[in-house]
Amino acid sequence: MLEINLAGLKLKSPIILASGILGVSYSSMKRVIDSGAGAVTTKSIGPIPRKGYKNPSIIEIYPGTFMNAVGLGNPGIENFVSEIKEIKNHNIPLIVSVFGETNEIYCEVATKAEKAGADAIEVNISCPHAEVSSIGIDKDLTNELIKFLKETISIPLFVKLNPNVTNIEEIAIAAENGGANGVVAINTVAALKIDTNTKRPILSHGSGGLSGKAIHPIAVKKVYDLYKVLKIPIIGCGGIDSWADVVEFFLAGATAVQIGTALYNGAEIISEINKGIINYLKENKFKSIKDIKGLSHQFKTQKVPDFD
Amino acid sequence: MTENTIKTVRIQSIIDECVGVKTITFNSFNAKTPKPGQFVMIWVPGVDEIPMSLSDFDENGNWAITVKDVGDCTNTIHNLEVGDFIGVRGPLGNYFKLPNNGSKNIILVGGGLGNAALKYLATKLNASKIAFQFINAIKDESKAIFVEDFLNFNLSQSDINLCVEFDDAKIGGSSVKKFYNSKFKGRAPKRLESLINEYTKNEISNIMVYACGPEKMIYKIFQICERYDIELQASLERIMRCGCGLCGLCSIDPLGLLVCKDGPVFRSKDLRKMEDLGKYRRDFTGKKITIK
Repeated sequence: MLEINLAGLKLKSPIILASGILGVSYSSMKRVIDSGAGAVTTKSIGPIPRKGYKNPSIIEIYPGTFMNAVGLGNPGIENFVSEIKEIKNHNIPLIVSVFGETNEIYCEVATKAEKAGADAIEVNISCPHAEVSSIGIDKDLTNELIKFLKETISIPLFVKLNPNVTNIEEIAIAAENGGANGVVAINTVAALKIDTNTKRPILSHGSGGLSGKAIHPIAVKKVYDLYKVLKIPIIGCGGIDSWADVVEFFLAGATAVQIGTALYNGAEIISEINKGIINYLKENKFKSIKDIKGLSHQFKTQKVPDFD
Repeated sequence: MTENTIKTVRIQSIIDECVGVKTITFNSFNAKTPKPGQFVMIWVPGVDEIPMSLSDFDENGNWAITVKDVGDCTNTIHNLEVGDFIGVRGPLGNYFKLPNNGSKNIILVGGGLGNAALKYLATKLNASKIAFQFINAIKDESKAIFVEDFLNFNLSQSDINLCVEFDDAKIGGSSVKKFYNSKFKGRAPKRLESLINEYTKNEISNIMVYACGPEKMIYKIFQICERYDIELQASLERIMRCGCGLCGLCSIDPLGLLVCKDGPVFRSKDLRKMEDLGKYRRDFTGKKITIK
């Protein structure tokens, strides 16, 4: 019931580990798969080792809502190849998230990841607190990058979208026109937390990206809007911590989803969510999760308010 | 407010333990009661946020951390004054499981600042009138910490061993060693083995060891415990960002056990499965590096 085909990737569950969560070691990613995820996305990997921002870099703001500014800390693709190979030894569907300063560097990292065995590439153009966000806020830069990558990379390319833009649709369309095989909506939402005692921003970088519970409705709206304009699959991401959150993404038009922040409750939450989705499908007499995709769009919504 | 939310609190008191080691206390109201072995993330505003063991906690909600001056962040902590703000997240992670009754032969092995987490455990055991032996391993006697606290324990029921790697001639005759029931020259694993051999075969099977300190030491302690078939609870340390199971920097291969969430305290059955134990950890970029 939960099997999906995402741009040619056959997954046993539509739930994918989101980038940035537990994605530095093969062992923790394997644990997420063993808990029922259909695939894993690695932490965003760049060309060389990068420490990122100092701590505090990940904090909880409200129960289930976090803020982070890690600043793309990662071991660099050369060091990471061994982890990719180890994951593939365990036959785990693997999406490697990549970033770079230029189109050429993006391509270099993605090529090495593909060669090491990645099943798909997630193109991070949207980290809200690092320099690569500049690509994700510009439709032309996005289009050029994806076109450039498509010339070399033969595995599917998913583009992770930045929600901190005026018009997310035009950037998603630019990615689709560039040849993207799917989009991930959304990355974290730009935010700031100030400590009242010391009067200073808490995160070492100052601002950060909001994830978890609070951004789920924001992400559902983006998926809903994107479904109207895109032909390629949408991977819903943001604030999933229950089966209902996943179902909502599908009803809005998602083909798959990503889970991240909720794993602070332990990876085991994924098997609970899988069970919950199956129950929902059975109760509603659906044979497959694919059958509920986009169902919310059949209902007309009010365009003009009533007067009088 | 949850345990992963940063709360800023004022430093209540500062105690000099020995040269380069201070204990800082603060009152973390509205937080859960911490258990021995749990840790906190300490934010030094403008500098860094680092994981630290709790070295004490009392019924009035006063928490203590014991800090060795080893880097930028700990150096800044050493220069803070009573009344200054620090940020606290916690209590985080799991904790030492106490024996159900006094029937176990308990041995605590602390190396250097690892004695901090065990001191809180020792305080709990002492208050519960559970006898224990404590191997307090330090480089030389000038590094002895918690001397005053151990003095207040009921030492007729327990045994505090000072285990020094090097005899320090200058301080050798000081008051420090008088506070300890015995002194052993040599490293902690050697002392543990000699202590084990003071027990009969039956008694050995009833020993429970709690350890905290440098991982190379813990690895040796683990090997000794395995050889004698003794149950071990060891507290491990890793670099971490989140402290709550998200960043993955503290993941241990091959099971993906997380020091922040599944640990920091691990029992023999988990330690046995760790390929990384005593060998590898991850740096702040996530790269696997050798433990020195």
